[in-house]
Amino acid sequence: MNFDWTTFALQLANVLILLAILRRFLFRPVAGIIARRQAETDAALAAAAQAQEDAKAAAGAARAETEATRAARQEILAKAQGEAETVRAGLLEKARAEAAAVVEKGRDQAARDREADRAAALAQARDLAGAIAARALAGMPRPPDAAGYGTRLATALDALSPDERAAILAGSHLRLAAAEPLTVPEAQAVTAALQTLGIAPDVETDPDLIAGLELRSDTGVVRNSLAHDLDTIAKALADDSAA
Amino acid sequence: MEPPLTAHGAFALGPVVVTWPVVTTWVIMVFLTLASLGFTRRLALRPGPGQAVLELLVATLDSEIRATIPGDPARFRALIGTLLVFILTANWSSLIPGVEPPTAHLETDAALAFLVFVLSIGWGIREQGLAGWLKGFASPTWAMIPLNLVEQITRNFSLMVRLFGNVMSGVFVIGIVLSLAGLLVPVPLMALDLLTGAVQAYIFATLALVFIGSSVSGHDAQSEKESPHE
Repeated sequence: MNFDWTTFALQLANVLILLAILRRFLFRPVAGIIARRQAETDAALAAAAQAQEDAKAAAGAARAETEATRAARQEILAKAQGEAETVRAGLLEKARAEAAAVVEKGRDQAARDREADRAAALAQARDLAGAIAARALAGMPRPPDAAGYGTRLATALDALSPDERAAILAGSHLRLAAAEPLTVPEAQAVTAALQTLGIAPDVETDPDLIAGLELRSDTGVVRNSLAHDLDTIAKALADDSAA
Repeated sequence: MEPPLTAHGAFALGPVVVTWPVVTTWVIMVFLTLASLGFTRRLALRPGPGQAVLELLVATLDSEIRATIPGDPARFRALIGTLLVFILTANWSSLIPGVEPPTAHLETDAALAFLVFVLSIGWGIREQGLAGWLKGFASPTWAMIPLNLVEQITRNFSLMVRLFGNVMSGVFVIGIVLSLAGLLVPVPLMALDLLTGAVQAYIFATLALVFIGSSVSGHDAQSEKESPHE
């Protein structure tokens, strides 16, 4: 077996040349396109990652904006609530003032009404007093002295039925009540007025009668005084009001 | 009688006799060059079928290199790829009637193994420095220096002989069967030769990568993956 060194050298050179050719025209371009694709893939991934980061940042900004909007809303609400509270307080104060004014006005009106009522009551009382006085004076004897009341007492006794008159006059302790002690002329006048009845009662004093003379015994009383007349008028007026 | 393993001269350039293996290698070189130009003329980011095959080849080469030698695989891509493509093409050239594959001649295999031998030394010195590379021969002990020195020669010699023996035997078997049996009988053997040629190309390229890797990374870093592929 021979070993051809020339062939060995030529083949060595051939392999080196082929190595250079394939490096230049095969492996480098193919590796280059792979690296380029990888670079573009990496760039796309990086862009996607960047887009994701941007999206996260945008989401964060949106959240921050939402928070800011919420805070602004809260601030506006608080401000509006404060203003409303101020307005409400103002309106309330105004309403209170107006109510106080109304109340004051009402009080004034009530005072005026009370004054008017009082004036009306006074007028009514005056009228009533006038009416009472008129009616009292209408039943008062002429002249309104002890003699006059003596005459009216005799008239009243005459107006009684005989049984009633006899019962009163027959009663024990028959006495004549006067509002104030009778003077001598007054006692004589009264005795003269009652002389027709045949009685001479004892005289006693009763200031409650105001004026007039009443004949009293244990069996009854003949009313003949201004106090009785006033009671009778008041009762009649009360009966009129009730009616 | 002329020895059967002798490379016949095709023509002579003065005193230099150019043998047929050299001529066949030139043809293969032209073919590979034109194929490379044709395939890489219109590379695109969206690859076609041919470009996809090329990218698969380069990606597989890079993966193998990266698995064996840490770092950028581009340093060794062209050498390992050229060895693989050339040996595969040369082995399969036997399918053309009348063509003897260049790898069936010892000179071609010797040239390939010598190239691996020289480049592994050169890359080892460049990566580790001369002292570091020489220190690797004393690994794991100083007593291993003679064996490691012999290994540097024998492993590349085995690289040469393995390729030569497998391809040459295939050519011989087919020639013998063809001369004895007839025209179509060697076809199954030729099909088997295709498989053998591809396997031998892969083994040569892989072992070259392992040898270079062990030289670059130190003798302890890489254990020779040489296995009984013969």
